[in-house]
Amino acid sequence: MAFDADEEILQDFLVEAGEILEKLSEQLVDLERNPDDGELLNAIFRGFHTVKGGAGFLQLDALVGCCHSAENVFDTLRNRKRRVTSELMDVVLEALDNVNLMFDQVRNQEDPTPAAPELIQALDALAEPEVEGESAAEVEAEPESVVAEEAPEPEQPAAENGDITDDEFEQLLDALQGKDAPAATPEPATGGGADEISDDEFESLLDDLHGKGKHSGGAPASKPATESSAPAAGGDEISDDEFESLLDELHGKGQFKAAAAEPEASAAGSNDDLISDDEFESLLDDLHGKGKKPEAPKPAPKAAKPAPEKKAEPAKKVEPAKQPAAPAARGDEPDAKTAPAAAGETTVRVDTKRLDDIMNMVGELVLVRNRLQRLGGASEDEHMQKAVSNLDVVTTDLQSAVMQTRMQPIKKVFGRFPRVVRDLARNLKKEINLVMHGEDTDLDKNLVEALSDPLVHLVRNSVDHGIELPDVREKAGKPRTGLVTLSAEQEGDHILLVIEDDGAGMDPNVLRRKAVEKGLFEQDVADRLTETECFNLIFAPGFSTKEQISDVSGRGVGMDVVKTKIGQLNGMINIESSMGKGSRIVIKVPLTLAIMPTLMIMLGDQSFALPLVNVVEIFHLDLTKKNIVDGRECIVVRDKVFPLFYIKKWLVHGASSEPETTESHVVIVAMGTKRVGFVVDQLVGQEEVVIKPLGRMLNGTPGMSGATITGDGRIALILDVPSLLQHYG
Amino acid sequence: MKILIVDDFSTMRRIIKNLLRDLGFTNTDEADDGNTALPMLKSGKYDFLVTDWNMPGMSGFELLEAVRADDALKSLPVLMVTAEAKRDQIVAAAQAGVNGYVVKPFTAAVLKEKIEKIFERIQS
Repeated sequence: MAFDADEEILQDFLVEAGEILEKLSEQLVDLERNPDDGELLNAIFRGFHTVKGGAGFLQLDALVGCCHSAENVFDTLRNRKRRVTSELMDVVLEALDNVNLMFDQVRNQEDPTPAAPELIQALDALAEPEVEGESAAEVEAEPESVVAEEAPEPEQPAAENGDITDDEFEQLLDALQGKDAPAATPEPATGGGADEISDDEFESLLDDLHGKGKHSGGAPASKPATESSAPAAGGDEISDDEFESLLDELHGKGQFKAAAAEPEASAAGSNDDLISDDEFESLLDDLHGKGKKPEAPKPAPKAAKPAPEKKAEPAKKVEPAKQPAAPAARGDEPDAKTAPAAAGETTVRVDTKRLDDIMNMVGELVLVRNRLQRLGGASEDEHMQKAVSNLDVVTTDLQSAVMQTRMQPIKKVFGRFPRVVRDLARNLKKEINLVMHGEDTDLDKNLVEALSDPLVHLVRNSVDHGIELPDVREKAGKPRTGLVTLSAEQEGDHILLVIEDDGAGMDPNVLRRKAVEKGLFEQDVADRLTETECFNLIFAPGFSTKEQISDVSGRGVGMDVVKTKIGQLNGMINIESSMGKGSRIVIKVPLTLAIMPTLMIMLGDQSFALPLVNVVEIFHLDLTKKNIVDGRECIVVRDKVFPLFYIKKWLVHGASSEPETTESHVVIVAMGTKRVGFVVDQLVGQEEVVIKPLGRMLNGTPGMSGATITGDGRIALILDVPSLLQHYG
Repeated sequence: MKILIVDDFSTMRRIIKNLLRDLGFTNTDEADDGNTALPMLKSGKYDFLVTDWNMPGMSGFELLEAVRADDALKSLPVLMVTAEAKRDQIVAAAQAGVNGYVVKPFTAAVLKEKIEKIFERIQS
């Protein structure tokens, strides 16, 4: 069972390995573009390797199996024994999906389901070096096909063991028998009755003895003809005994001859390359000389040299695998981008709940600060004012520092896109390049999560509807490969996200027609829509029904949902498009959700907060200058017409019967491309407020997104402009 | 006994740390690869080094070589953690001066045995 393991460690593993898996999916897509990037191959190899290692301790065997096979594929790849192809990538990505699936299962306290045997088989087949030329073909290509692990070059054994002597064979059998499968012996033994054993026989013998998949290494044993020491380097793995004797051998001082013989003999005991404890012991003995201090460095290495040489020689010939292994290990070095040093020492994992709490408390502090500021401003006491302005500075710093702790690079979301685009493009038979900028832009963790789905949807849209098929593109005189650009940047206290494609663009007339067909507008109204308004039509509910149904991932997010979601984040979304050139979608969201800059206004004697994002401008208006168009009051500002609303009549009880004033303040607010004017009694000023959700009774009141406490200690309702207009306008 | 655990995967460090703690070795430090481990070893007066093989930056093998090349550290006992007991790797590590190896996954008992063996050998 997987859950005997320390639960805490399991959780840690899930988090950390989860990060590795996320990175893997990015790296894999990268790899397809740069199939020869050795560093990348190493990194991917290490990724699977690390996950496997951790899973091993947690007894997640299914996970270990899948990762192991995937790791082998990359071991083959990084040793240049095979090249990256789309087919290979499909299999590997499928494996990664499988691993992710198992991950989710483990997360849900289930036992992970092992990957389909077909998948493992496919992976194992890919772990084989490409059978192309060289000795493989010339000797015997067949037996290799089943070989699974640690056999970068199985052809070698085949080449070597053409003439094994009976003696050797007997010895080998003895060795094997002791270890693994005594039952298997007689059959192959008789099969190999002649002086020469055939490759096939030998292979199958090994299969029998070790079980398929492990045998590859065993073969080399036979090479060194007459010397009994030969079988030493049997498989790939070394047993403890072997290791011991190896150490003995290496450190052995004067008597290395004898010592040399010893490890070999003992090594013969196990014919696979797994070193045994005993071997290791004797290896150490040889290296250090029994009882001798490890000092005396001079003679030791010298002595050691010939000894390993003897051993290494057959080993080398027999097993080219060893050769690549060492350089590979070395190759690890440059590729590392010097990981954040000593991560274990300087970082702490904190539950986001705790961060939320801290953020909340800082919010309260901001409120108190606002209140004190107001009081301080009113008092004449100079010391008081100084203290308050000090408090102001400290609170602002604290607020931004706490915000920093909640910040995450947008990379977290962007990281999914290469894979999304790749899969979708392959499905749709399009050629698409995804370029990303500003992945390191930080924003609030909650925002990162909230933005994820809408962004995925928009990117899918660009790929699906934006970019044309390669042939169409070619005809239009564009490069076959489409380009989708995803960028993020910080602009003041906002984040700007841009999704751009160089596809077909949108035709405003088609959109107009559609809008009329769907009954959203009358023909004449539709005709009057500006281009931008037309593009924004795709966000109208019910406009993009087709997508909702065809959404492959079944996420079911239509464009209207995207818009709503962005709206919930106090963000804005905008579309630009030009026929034949492509579309550009711009999303603007605040850096954080917890604290919002607002414009405080008064209606009667009640304060309200208007999100500053929505506010375009404020001015003083002589209300006699308003016009009436289409039965609605409007004002003209710099040749633009804005509808005018008296929100006081909506929001303040009994205000509708008040006589109209002749002068008033007007706030122009914007939602998307739509701009309207609100008539208010009084403008208080800009204030940062902490959003407190409305109580259960009031939750969902149209036009209100929450409440806050103002600097003068009163409660102000925070207006939600879109829903306000929708409900009253 | 002061022990340095080197692994790039923090979960693994924690696992090893817990196992060591189960064996009564509570004075442990962690490093995430050879590059961070080496300066720590040079200044930290460690009595024992447990290192993973496969790490970015500086691998366990390179760390081992660096340790053996350093006069102050050359007699530091080193236990190598590997995923597979590949002969070529182990032989290379032994030649480079490793004192023991242990294959993942392992239990506290196995770890104990490995550590005991290493000290037996050093003391003999």
